[in-house]
Amino acid sequence: MSTAGAREHVDISQRFDPLFDAHYQEIYRFCIRRLGVDDAEDATAEVFAVAWRRIDGMPSGVDDRAWLYGVAQRVVGNHYRSRRRRQGLLKRLLETRSTGEPDVVTGADVDARVLAALSSLSGSDQDLLRLTTWDGLTRSEIAHVLGIKENAVDQRIHRARMRLRDRYDRLGPEPRPVTTKEASA
Amino acid sequence: MIELLQHADPAANIEIDGARLRAKVDDRIGITTSLEPARKRPSRPWLVVAVAAMVAAAIALPMLLREEPPSIFAPAYDGILNTPGIEKVIPVGAGVSTVGVDGDSIWVMAALSNQLHHIDATTGSILETYTIDSYVEGVIPGGGFVWLLSYDNDGEVLRFDPDSGTVDLVIPIEGSPWHRSAWFDDRLWVSNDQGELFTITADGELTPAGPGSVKGQAMGYLWVANPATGDISSLSEDGTRGELVIPRRVDTSIIDEKGNPVDVIDASSLTEAGGYIWLMTGEGPASRTTLLRFDPSDGELLPLVIGPGLHGMVEHDGYLWVISYIDHLLVRVDPDTRETSRYPMPGKTGGITVADGSIWLDFFHPGLLARVDTSANLIEAGETLVDQVDTDHRLLCTGPDDFTGPIIILEPPQWIGPGSWSVIQAELSNQGSQVCAHGYLGGEPTDQTPSDRATDLASALDGAGISGPLLVVTAGDGVHATRLFAEGRDNVVGILMVDPVPVGWNEFLTSVIVAAGEDPDGAPEGADLDAAVSAGLGDFGATPLVVIGQDPDAVFLNDPFVDTYGDGAYAANQFWQDGLAFYAGLSTDSRTVVADGTGMHMVVWDRADLVIDEVLALLERIEG
Repeated sequence: MSTAGAREHVDISQRFDPLFDAHYQEIYRFCIRRLGVDDAEDATAEVFAVAWRRIDGMPSGVDDRAWLYGVAQRVVGNHYRSRRRRQGLLKRLLETRSTGEPDVVTGADVDARVLAALSSLSGSDQDLLRLTTWDGLTRSEIAHVLGIKENAVDQRIHRARMRLRDRYDRLGPEPRPVTTKEASA
Repeated sequence: MIELLQHADPAANIEIDGARLRAKVDDRIGITTSLEPARKRPSRPWLVVAVAAMVAAAIALPMLLREEPPSIFAPAYDGILNTPGIEKVIPVGAGVSTVGVDGDSIWVMAALSNQLHHIDATTGSILETYTIDSYVEGVIPGGGFVWLLSYDNDGEVLRFDPDSGTVDLVIPIEGSPWHRSAWFDDRLWVSNDQGELFTITADGELTPAGPGSVKGQAMGYLWVANPATGDISSLSEDGTRGELVIPRRVDTSIIDEKGNPVDVIDASSLTEAGGYIWLMTGEGPASRTTLLRFDPSDGELLPLVIGPGLHGMVEHDGYLWVISYIDHLLVRVDPDTRETSRYPMPGKTGGITVADGSIWLDFFHPGLLARVDTSANLIEAGETLVDQVDTDHRLLCTGPDDFTGPIIILEPPQWIGPGSWSVIQAELSNQGSQVCAHGYLGGEPTDQTPSDRATDLASALDGAGISGPLLVVTAGDGVHATRLFAEGRDNVVGILMVDPVPVGWNEFLTSVIVAAGEDPDGAPEGADLDAAVSAGLGDFGATPLVVIGQDPDAVFLNDPFVDTYGDGAYAANQFWQDGLAFYAGLSTDSRTVVADGTGMHMVVWDRADLVIDEVLALLERIEG
C-alpha cells in the first residue's frame, strides 16, 4: 500500500470502525431474518464492504443506521434473485393447504405458520413488517430504507398487518395451543 | 398477530461472532488482517515501486483521456453521467443490448462492434474485452462458460470459455435463438424461432426438449410456453413440468390501450416481483405493451398499462422495475398496489439487469452500461395528463393540468423519438409547467416529411384539446417541421431551437464527404426542407426566439474531423454557423447560445441543464 493509500485507509478506518462496532449485530440479524443463517454472514460482510467503499458518499442528513439498513436492503435484494427458497415455500404452502389442520399444534408450528403467511405477502409488505416488528426501525428510518415517504409508512404498515392477518387465516383454521398432555403424549 | 410475529423472529437467539464477521469484511475490502497473525513476507521494494507506478498511471490516464475533445462519432458521456440517479457509466461500444450476470461479473455483448466485455460489477471496471466474430444478441453465463446466442448461420449457440478467452464450441440450433434463454438445472435452455426447445449441457451436448419457448425464470422455476396451446408451464429442476400453469386466455376484461383484449399467448417474457409473476405482452420498440400480474396462489390475472415500447423488467428492492424503449423511462411498480413511478432516463435503454445490489441499464445508443442508484436522486416525472395514442404518432403530456401559462411543446428531430426529451420534460413539468412531447412510435426514424409532421403535431394538439398559448421547443431537423407548424399561428408565443440543422445541410455535407474522397453513403440521412418550401416560409416577427448551437470546437474543429476532411471541416463549421445566424434572424427578438462541451446532435442529452434553463428563461420573458 502506498503512503497515500495507507493514509486514506486510516481515514476510512476512523469512520468505519465505530460504524461496524455499533451496528454489525443488528445488520447481521437483519440478514438472518431475510436470508437465514447460512447466507447471513456473507450478506453482512457484503453490507459492510459496501459501506467501506462508499463511506465518503454517505449522504449527509441521514443517520448511519438508516443508511446501513438501506445498503443491507439492497444487498439482501440481490441475494434474493439467485435463490430458490420460494420454490420450497410455495410447495410447503400447498402442502399446508391440502393436509388441513394438524392434530397437534406446537409453538414451532405457530411460528412456521406466521412465517409462511409473512412469506406469502408482497416483498414490500414483508419489508415493512420485518423492519417494524423485528428490526425495530423508526418510521423515518423505514421511510429511508424503503425509499418511501415518511407519512406513507404508518398507512402501509397498517395495510400490511391486515394482509398478514388475512393470509394467516387463509392457511387454515386457527391452530389451538398445545397442551402439556398432548405434547408429552 | 404482531405478537406472534415477534415470537417467530428467526434471529432472536442467534449468537454473533463479531471478530469472525470483521475478518470476513476485511477480507472483502482487501485488508490483510485475519484472526491469526499474518506471516511475514519478504520485502519487495521493486514491487512497491511498480504498483505505485501502475496506480499513478491508472489515475492519470483517464484524466489525460478526458482532455481529448469528444469525437463526433462518440458523443460525450457527461450528459448521461449528470442525469440524477446515474451512478456510473461504462462505455462498451455500439449496439449493446445483451447483458448476463454471474455473481460479481457482468458480461456485456456490444453486438454492432462484436465485443464481449467482462466487467467487475463491484468496481465497474472492464476486466477484459474479447472480439467475437459473430452477431450475438444473447449472453447467458452458466456452467463455467458464457453462452452466446448468435443469429449467424441460421442460428447457433457459441460456448465461450473465459479461461482461454475463445469460443471453443459452436452448436447449431436450426433457427434464430430466442434471447430469453436461461441457465437452469445445470444446463442451457434455449428455444429458436421455430418454437423448438433444446437443452445444452456444459460439455456441449445438445438435446431436443420438444416444442417450447423459454419465457424466463421465477419462483425457482423455469417457465416455458407451449406453442400449440399457449399455456406457460413451470419446469422444476427435478424435471417436473406443469406444477403451476399460466393458462392461455383471452380475457375481455383485460384490454390494452387500443381497447383490444389481451392475449396471454403474446407474453414475451416473465419475471417475479413481490410474490407475483409478471408477464410482458407486446414487448418491443414499436409495440404497445401491457404488463400482467399473475398471482400463483389464486390464479388472478390483472393488467397494468404503463405505455408503449416496454422492453425488459427485473425485481429490485421489492419493486418491479421496467424500462421503456420509446419514452426513455425507468418505471418503478409497486407489486402490491400496481402504483407506478416514472423516472426519465437519458437515452434508449436496451436492457435492464441487477448486479452488485444495483440496477444496471444498457443504453443502446451511444453504447453504455450505466449503474443506477435507485435509493436516492432519481427525479420522478410528473403525472401523465394526456397519452394520446394514434396509429403512428402520439403526444405525451406531463405536468399540472391546472397550469395556465404557455404549454411547452417538444418536437424532436426525425431520427429520435419523443423520449429524447425525457430528462428535460420531467424537470420542466416538475417545476410546474405543462409539457407535451410529440413523436412517433417505433425505433426507426419516421419517413414523415416536415409538412407531414407539422400537420401531425397540429392534429395531435387538436385531439388533446390543447389550444395554447404554446412555447415550441425543437431540435435538429425538427426545426423544419416547427417552422411549418408555427407559420401563421398566433398561439405560438415563443420558440426554442436546439441544435437546429441548417437548410440544405445534408447536400452540403455530402459534397464535403465526396471532396474528401470518401463514400457519400456515410452522410447522415434525413429529410431536408426543400428549397421551395423554405423560400415560401416567413419569419417569426417579434416572437421571442432562442437558438442553442452545439459546440463547434467539439463537433467540427476537432482533430479527427479536421484530419479527415481538411478545409471541408472548416467549411462545414462555417455552413453550420451561418445556419444558426439565419435562424436567429427569423425573429427581431432572438438570442443565440453556444452549448459548450456537446457532441454532434447531443445537446439534448449533454446539456439538458442548459436547455431547461433557457426554456424557463424564455417562459419568464413571455409571461413578462
